[in-house]
Amino acid sequence: MFNRRTLAIIKRELKTRLFSKSFIIMTFLVPLFMIMVFSIQYFIQTMAGEQRSDIIIISDSDEILNKVQNELMKTNAFKSGDLTSFTEKVELSQFEEKLKERKSDLLEQRITGLVFIPSSALQSKEIDYYSYNPNNSSLFYKIKPSINKALIEIYFASKQLTQDEINFARKDIDISGFRITSDEEVTRSGYGNSIAMILFTFLLYMALIFSGSLTMNAVVEEKSNKIVEVLLSSANSTELMIGKIFGTVIIELIQMAIWLSPVLLVLTTSWFMIPPEFMPQMSIGYIFYFLFNYGLALITYVSLYATVGAIFDNPQDAQSGVWPLMMLIMIPFFIALSMESNSQTSFAVIASLFPFSSLIVMPARMILVEVPIWQILLSTVINIIVLLGIFKLAGKIYRIGILLTGKKPKWSEVLRWLRVS
Amino acid sequence: MNVLEVKNLTKRFNGLTAVDRASFSVEDGEVFGLIGRNGAGKTTTIRMMLNIYFPDEGEVLFKGEKTKQNFKDFVGYLPEERGLYKKMKVIDMLLFLAELKGKKGNQVLKSAMKYLERFDLADRKNSKVEDLSKGNQQKVQFIGTILHDPDFLIFDEPFAGLDPINTNLLKEIILEMKQKGKVVIFSTHLMEFAEKMCDSIAMIDKGKIILNGKLSDIKSKYASKNVSLSYNGNISFLQNNNLIESIEDFGHSTGIRLKNYNTDQQLLKLLIDNNIVIKKFNVDEISLHEIFVSLAGKESGDVQ
Repeated sequence: MFNRRTLAIIKRELKTRLFSKSFIIMTFLVPLFMIMVFSIQYFIQTMAGEQRSDIIIISDSDEILNKVQNELMKTNAFKSGDLTSFTEKVELSQFEEKLKERKSDLLEQRITGLVFIPSSALQSKEIDYYSYNPNNSSLFYKIKPSINKALIEIYFASKQLTQDEINFARKDIDISGFRITSDEEVTRSGYGNSIAMILFTFLLYMALIFSGSLTMNAVVEEKSNKIVEVLLSSANSTELMIGKIFGTVIIELIQMAIWLSPVLLVLTTSWFMIPPEFMPQMSIGYIFYFLFNYGLALITYVSLYATVGAIFDNPQDAQSGVWPLMMLIMIPFFIALSMESNSQTSFAVIASLFPFSSLIVMPARMILVEVPIWQILLSTVINIIVLLGIFKLAGKIYRIGILLTGKKPKWSEVLRWLRVS
Repeated sequence: MNVLEVKNLTKRFNGLTAVDRASFSVEDGEVFGLIGRNGAGKTTTIRMMLNIYFPDEGEVLFKGEKTKQNFKDFVGYLPEERGLYKKMKVIDMLLFLAELKGKKGNQVLKSAMKYLERFDLADRKNSKVEDLSKGNQQKVQFIGTILHDPDFLIFDEPFAGLDPINTNLLKEIILEMKQKGKVVIFSTHLMEFAEKMCDSIAMIDKGKIILNGKLSDIKSKYASKNVSLSYNGNISFLQNNNLIESIEDFGHSTGIRLKNYNTDQQLLKLLIDNNIVIKKFNVDEISLHEIFVSLAGKESGDVQ
């Protein structure tokens, strides 16, 4: 499989691509791009929260109005001016009228909303919110704790409890996650692993799609350039394909290693000041597993992309033929991301063993929980078997497709190529 | 001695037979032409000879043995549709092509520089291929074909799309290779080139070889069918003679077409025996083109 011809082709790939501008640019651009995506998301989220809200609080009880207003004034949102509130005492029977009176203010959004807290809320904790946009969760997030606190204080004030007891009742539960592994130690888990999972999955997804399309376009170009016939007079199509695939795999692995090196430094040194709740619990072995798995994924997907490239003789047709492959990468990607809420659903477990999807889901799952070693081995073995099968099929299609130009072949024809060769 | 034998090569595409039991052989040191119209099966035959296409039937023998992968190392192939990596530097491109053939190191570099100098491209060795003119790209392609010093050169329609300068350059290369004792095989639909350059030919039409052999033999065989004759006497006895296919009598000059090849000497004897005074007896030269047209018009079965 590897002879001087494949080596010559691999060497050429490395020489032309490893030192190319696009490689250097990509190596720096992808991390930048990822940082950008995450910061944009963060920015949009904070933007939503920072919108100014003006609310009216209406109640039939002065006590409620005073307490709530007091609590609201203690919030950061109130202090920074993002939230203003004023109170109005209205008897229950006159509330409907009051609402009518304020209707135009609400419609024209001179006031964001009207919070109605009847005295019955001291029993039921049910309050009403009237607004042009009644589903404003970022506003609820800001006012709910204050209102709750006020109601609790009023309710317990008559019960003759100590302040400590009231404080206890008021306090929300705080869940700390501890990660149980087969090791002795039980580690406190923060957001670190969830963030790392999203980061790694995203990286894997982007790198696979990118290197796949790059290879596909390179093969299409060789075909439309007609260089391929010159090459075939020296090497056979399998050597050509293997050279192309492994050239790409080596280049992409080098690039991934560059991208992962900061992570290795984070794990092994204390050069980076990362707050403990963001620090991922990850072994160095995992990084090597990730690279190894990435290698398998690359060989699998790059062969498929190269095959699609060999079927078509121009980039447009190839783009239209590549969607089944995109699905094979995108579906596992979304499965992996969905594990953020719970990584132990049976769906996630199956997806982490299933061909193709395991290439993306398994490394993601491994960041979140300790996966039994037999599952890791099983998924690797399954992937290697699938990869060998793909290699064989790809070789057959490649051999016939690579010299075919002109009419865009139908899928039924491609299937026939598999049978004849 | 036959170095290359093509035996019963057959290739079908989707039920259509592109090449049908093609057989011919190429001798050491000769220039061999594979001649036929566009779409006759020349490229398919050549691709099968190089194992770019796997033949459905038949085989190619190199010095009596079935060709293997290493046969490609001895071949320099210039396909009809030529191509290079556009983004590569000229010198890197050439060294890569040689390396695929198993030649690398200083020797190849030197040889590449020698050719680049000869073709006035030495100052462009570090240019990207795409920055060269089309003519210069063709030159780079020629160098890539011969740089590894192959024993066989296979050119598919080599003169298609060449400017006059490169046409001459390629002719020069072919002759030079012939002088060095290399085998040159080229396909063409241009009979004129084949006639001037080939030692042997194979004519292919609709996938079948309809004529094959040394050009001189073929020409002498086919040439003797047309005779122009100037004479005194009465040649009416020739009418209905079974040697003759047709006679156009213009009085003292006659065009005679013989039924079979190589019967011109029998005709001459017949005329002398009948006391005809022969002033001129001219067995026509016939061009390859005429041979081709006369053959390709017929079913190949009755020609061979």
